[in-house]
Amino acid sequence: MNTEQQTLRDITRRHFFAGCGVNFGALGLASLMSDGNLFAADSKADDRKTNPLFPRDGHFPGKAKRVIYMFMAGGPSHLELFDYKPKLQELDGQVIPPSYVENKRFAFLKKDAKLLGTRRKFGKHGESGAEISELLPNISKHADDIAIVRSMKTEVFNHGPAKMFTNTGSPRFGRPSMGAWTTYGIGSESQNLPGFVVMHSGPRGPRGGTPLWGSGFLPTTYQGVPFLNGADPILNLSSPKGIGSQQQGEFVDAVSQLNALRLKQVGDAEISTRIAAYEMAYRMQTSAPELMNLAGETKETLDLYGVDPAKPSFARNCLLARRLVEKGTRFVQMYHTDWDHHGNPGTNLDKPLEDRCREVDRPAAALLQDLKQRGLLEDTLVIWGGEFGRTPQGEPRDTAGRDHHIDAYSMWMAGGGIKGGTTVGETDELGYYTVKDQVHVHDFQATVLHLLGLDHLQLTYRFQGRDFRLTDVAGNVVKKLLA
Amino acid sequence: MKSRASICAALAAVVVAVGYVAFAADEPATKIKPVDYTTQIKPLLVKHCYECHAAKKPQSGFRLDTAKLASMGGDRGAAIVPGKSEKSLLYLSLLNDDDVDVTQMPFELEPLKPQEISLIKRWIDEGAKAPKDEVAADADAKSDHWAFQPVVRPTLPTVKNAAWSNQPLDRFVLARLEKEGLAPSAEADRATLIRRLSLDLRGLPPSLSEVEQFLADDQPGAYERLVDRMLASPHYGERWGRHWLDLARYADSNGFTIDGPRSIWQYRDWVIDAVNDGKPFDKFTIEQIAGDLLPAARRDQLVATGFHRNTLINQEGGTDPEQFRVDAVVDRLETTGSVFLGLTIGCARCHEHKFDPISQREFYEMYAFLNGTQDVKSIQPIIPLPTPAQETRQKQLRADIASTGKILKTHDAKIAVGQAKWETEIATVVAPKWVMLDAIEFKSKANATINEFDDRSLIVGGNGNIPANDTYTVTVDVPVEKVVAVRLEVLTNSGLPKNGPGLADNGNFVLTEFSATVTAMQASGAATEPLKFSKTAADWSQDGFPAAHAIDDNAQTGWAINVAKGQGSANVDREAIFVLQQPLEKAVGTKLTFSLKHESKSAKYLIGRFRLSVTSELSAGHVVPAGVAASVVVPTGKRTPGQKAVLKASYSGTDETRQPLVKKLNALKKSERELTQIIPTTMIMREVKKPRESFVMIRGDFLRKGAVVQPKIPALFPQLPKDVENPGRLDLARWLVSKENPLTPRVTVNRYWQMFFGTGLVETENDFGTQGTAPSHPLLLDWLASEFVASGWDSKGLHRRIVTSATYRQSSRVSPELQEKDSGNRLLARQSRIRLEAEAIRDVCLSSSGLLSQKLGGPGVYPPQPTGINLLTQVSKAWPESKGDDRYRRGMYVYFWRSNPYPFLPTFDAPRANNTCTRRARSNTPLQALTLANDHSFFELAQGLATRILTDGPDDDSGRLLYAFRVCLSREPSEQEFAVLTQFIAQQRKRFESAEKDATQVAPAIRPEGISAAEAAAWTAAARVFLNLDEFITRE
Repeated sequence: MNTEQQTLRDITRRHFFAGCGVNFGALGLASLMSDGNLFAADSKADDRKTNPLFPRDGHFPGKAKRVIYMFMAGGPSHLELFDYKPKLQELDGQVIPPSYVENKRFAFLKKDAKLLGTRRKFGKHGESGAEISELLPNISKHADDIAIVRSMKTEVFNHGPAKMFTNTGSPRFGRPSMGAWTTYGIGSESQNLPGFVVMHSGPRGPRGGTPLWGSGFLPTTYQGVPFLNGADPILNLSSPKGIGSQQQGEFVDAVSQLNALRLKQVGDAEISTRIAAYEMAYRMQTSAPELMNLAGETKETLDLYGVDPAKPSFARNCLLARRLVEKGTRFVQMYHTDWDHHGNPGTNLDKPLEDRCREVDRPAAALLQDLKQRGLLEDTLVIWGGEFGRTPQGEPRDTAGRDHHIDAYSMWMAGGGIKGGTTVGETDELGYYTVKDQVHVHDFQATVLHLLGLDHLQLTYRFQGRDFRLTDVAGNVVKKLLA
Repeated sequence: MKSRASICAALAAVVVAVGYVAFAADEPATKIKPVDYTTQIKPLLVKHCYECHAAKKPQSGFRLDTAKLASMGGDRGAAIVPGKSEKSLLYLSLLNDDDVDVTQMPFELEPLKPQEISLIKRWIDEGAKAPKDEVAADADAKSDHWAFQPVVRPTLPTVKNAAWSNQPLDRFVLARLEKEGLAPSAEADRATLIRRLSLDLRGLPPSLSEVEQFLADDQPGAYERLVDRMLASPHYGERWGRHWLDLARYADSNGFTIDGPRSIWQYRDWVIDAVNDGKPFDKFTIEQIAGDLLPAARRDQLVATGFHRNTLINQEGGTDPEQFRVDAVVDRLETTGSVFLGLTIGCARCHEHKFDPISQREFYEMYAFLNGTQDVKSIQPIIPLPTPAQETRQKQLRADIASTGKILKTHDAKIAVGQAKWETEIATVVAPKWVMLDAIEFKSKANATINEFDDRSLIVGGNGNIPANDTYTVTVDVPVEKVVAVRLEVLTNSGLPKNGPGLADNGNFVLTEFSATVTAMQASGAATEPLKFSKTAADWSQDGFPAAHAIDDNAQTGWAINVAKGQGSANVDREAIFVLQQPLEKAVGTKLTFSLKHESKSAKYLIGRFRLSVTSELSAGHVVPAGVAASVVVPTGKRTPGQKAVLKASYSGTDETRQPLVKKLNALKKSERELTQIIPTTMIMREVKKPRESFVMIRGDFLRKGAVVQPKIPALFPQLPKDVENPGRLDLARWLVSKENPLTPRVTVNRYWQMFFGTGLVETENDFGTQGTAPSHPLLLDWLASEFVASGWDSKGLHRRIVTSATYRQSSRVSPELQEKDSGNRLLARQSRIRLEAEAIRDVCLSSSGLLSQKLGGPGVYPPQPTGINLLTQVSKAWPESKGDDRYRRGMYVYFWRSNPYPFLPTFDAPRANNTCTRRARSNTPLQALTLANDHSFFELAQGLATRILTDGPDDDSGRLLYAFRVCLSREPSEQEFAVLTQFIAQQRKRFESAEKDATQVAPAIRPEGISAAEAAAWTAAARVFLNLDEFITRE
């Protein structure tokens, strides 16, 4: 067999048509419609060359097969949620000792700001006795499933750059996001839905915008696909008006037949990739709306999450996330915005914080429970956290609030190789600096990749003369988090 | 790394031991005489420090090979303060002391012995004396890396098949092929050639007649004539301009999360023009880097400096402007490095790298060239770019404003004389007796809440919802027998913006019309009549907004109360008096209804609190509002600026000859303002007057300033001419294209090659450094570079040479043999198939559909985009969907929001313009398929193509299919292709014939005459297939 024939064999079954003359008729469409997963049926014929999202092994077997990342955009207050500081209560209203703020820069705070004790009560939960705020009663019930990191540390204190840093390892634009690195590393198990999906709830999009889930210098194939709350979950998912599903199939068929003929003529393997892309696009047109249709979910499930199927919400996104990972999507990221509690009306640590917690607490807990009962939690990594924490000092605004804080904050993770019921790291008595087991953003990133079976030092891409990594030039896997 | 360190450690141990012996022998002598540099200090430095801190690539820019250099220090500044060891970094760095901001030296090696350290301390404390004539070992900065060597024009290689060559460059390609035992591919057929040429040179497919003409031209030189026609096309500037804009990271917004709009499209148009005009590349470069610094810089040379104004601006709150200014300068340096030098010099920003050709210090020396520009995280500086007509008109308006202003000033000076007299007159006028009116009914047209206070004033708003415009209606019972005038008081209140009295943010309002009607009860029922006002007076009117404008029946004008500087506060109580033309007699028992209209173009310019009164008597001659009366009784010397202003204004208001002048002046100012607003501006570079100091930034942190540096070219490269003093940005620009610089021509021709063949001769087109790949054809690269410079940097000429070569004209078909031997096509035994760039994909669709607008340049356009795009950005982006021809402009003119680009563009790998892009990715994804197949914009183009086929093509299926093939692919179909489409058309027609509603939705809204909906829909379906073919969006 010569190379040309080989190339042709390596496309799809449609090469038969090209080989057998022009008598396709019903065959093409019928087979396309009946077979949900073309590649699974003919997997040997596929590889990274024609399908860059084809699933593949990492550097070593990973405990997590997929990730659900709940991104709390704006920077939730660790001091109100996961890091209780009696000393801060004691010093409430006093000016912070100057040793804490020398040579420090803040977005809005002055150096003589006064400390602010939390008004929230904390309790110990589960066998592990994890200390969690009363604002998160449902997540508290999962204390033994989750690992809380109290010693997170980041480097940038403005929202956009800090979100970029958490997602891409750099505060600047142009680097690939964690989800892009993941699908670049191990592809996706779904050939009907995007490998990296992004959803959003809250009053506006997260600061930083599309580069937060961009592919940077990696091919665009790996970028996150936003699922929109409108009629079309993916841009241009619906066929033009007047063209039904069957006709769209006929259209894809005709395009693919002509492309196959051209492939035979010119021998360029890119054409086979294009044929595969059209077929996946066509499958997505059916599978994405199916995914969004919650009619098949039981009332118990809807109630568990607190979902109104007709209304976009964080709860609905959590349920969709579960449905996505069930179908093999590799990386789901959900942004819930408006955690930026500086202390203005509408953005303070009073009702607005309570509202955010209420919107998130039940669905996040429901997601853990739902994944668990379906046996998915053990190989699904669930992450909860924002781009930074908030200062122990209050801001001198109308109501209670705190400024951005990069020296210490909290996140939690669960499932997928995470040791549940642990609390990693400690902050000082004010919750200002980490004093034990600091987890830098790059360490967090290294750990996520590790759980997926990827070595953050080896997962590189050469660009502008340099081998780039998600973790830039740093990062250590946090062993204490591993089960 | 590890092994090297351990070798060093072992060596150091030996050195230390030897040093210690020498030291011990010297010790008795040091007790009596000062430390001697040459015999006691220098040997220590040589042994412990030279490895990293001597002439060759000194770490941290710090050299110790002479005492003078040691004193000067490196990136962190002076290392020796004579007499003060405790301030000398040289000494401090030897200690194991956490308070010292340097790792203990020698780095990762055994520290010096305490005796050695104290010897160095003593030497410094004694004044760090050293012989003056100490000579530094000369650094050999030259590199033997190929890219840094001078360009030498190679002789043409001999080849066996000399007849194959069209151009000298072919000989280099062929020589290599012959060496590898490969033959070049056959020339592509003519249809492929013309489509290839047209897409490469114009970014558009050839027209039907161009193809016909070319296919019919059987004279020698037909191809070359075609090339000349294409190079002469204005679309050539668009296509190659767009390529340059990738490098320039051009976009229409500021980037980061706020991402506000900016106006810099004139720079984009400058690039297009420069390419079309064949501006030599050296001039092209100099004008963009430093056009503002050229002697007597022309306007277009200023516009050109937009190149480096395409950096991002962070508008987020709470950020440090200097940080982002530094980031912008660094980006300019990195971009300059990538675009001209093909070097990733940005890596040296934070620290040294073993393989980098330039050190961290050299990075900041280059940075210093670009560090003197005025912009600090700002849109400014900008220049307006009026057309000649606009410029003339603007000048005229400004002259008229000046002369009218002067007339007004003279007028005011004249009337000031009369003011004193008037003041004494009105001081004696008895204030009218005002009777406040009790509103029995009041309402807001815009449904704002109105409440009444005990003092009978009415307050509007209160629920935070302030409408843009509103009309208040107030009805009162008349409490007096006779009404001669009405008083409207506008009153402050703490609940209003700035205390009011208006609801605008500054407390102002514009009362555009004040009117009243009277309703009397008669036997026949209620009779309502309008009241007429003849005269007004106010204690304060904003210039151009007199109270008379509230009774002039003109909704465009009105009464407002803002103040200019020196006129006191705007946020005080004011009143206007409206005198009735005819007194209203027998008024008790009647009702008055007042209407207060606010129809200003400025939103929320509404009165916030007001009260109405009437009076039965006015003293003849003067109507004196309360504010005026209150001001005039204050002795002249004690009046506040506000009182003075009130009196002056009130007196001028009595002067009827003044108003027309004010009116004229305001009209002129308004015209001038409006004209200025429509004159486009563009962002440019300007140098600060006093140069900024530049520093090495320790670890790239702008807050950690190291040594001061001066602008300097890295030692590795040919230096600036000797006669350049105080080098600046212009010298850098000239150096980039100086004949000594081998990199700019190599890097530039390589990028051109990349555009024509898919990959450059140097595959790492932005890394010509030691980490990049070597050229596949080094001699060819140098031949092209030398030819480029010798031709006077003639880019168009070089493009011509390349596209007329036999190498370029080969077929792109991949034979099994070539697939096996050279799948990446590095040997160039064929052409490459290249998927079109995002903009070109839009353009071929537009062109084939016959809808393409040929307009060149101008502000960005907004073709339709799918809904839901803005859901995911922090600040939503304006997208006023274009109408008419602007819907069909080329892709490069689509307004580019950095944080949220027109989705089609990034889907097909258009760069996001956050940093320079020297090569676009070419991905191949399902989202691309969804876009081309379903996007509303593209479907509209499929309908356009169908209309074109049905209108301009023949009347039968096969004729139409042939026509569509020619339009879209510039070729004839194969038998199989023809069969697939014939069958498809028949199938679709049948389907649409039985589904009328679908057919109407799919068919173009306006169908060609005599064509049924089903027929038009079937052809739309077919047209859609064409627009989605791989070949259609590929240059073959």
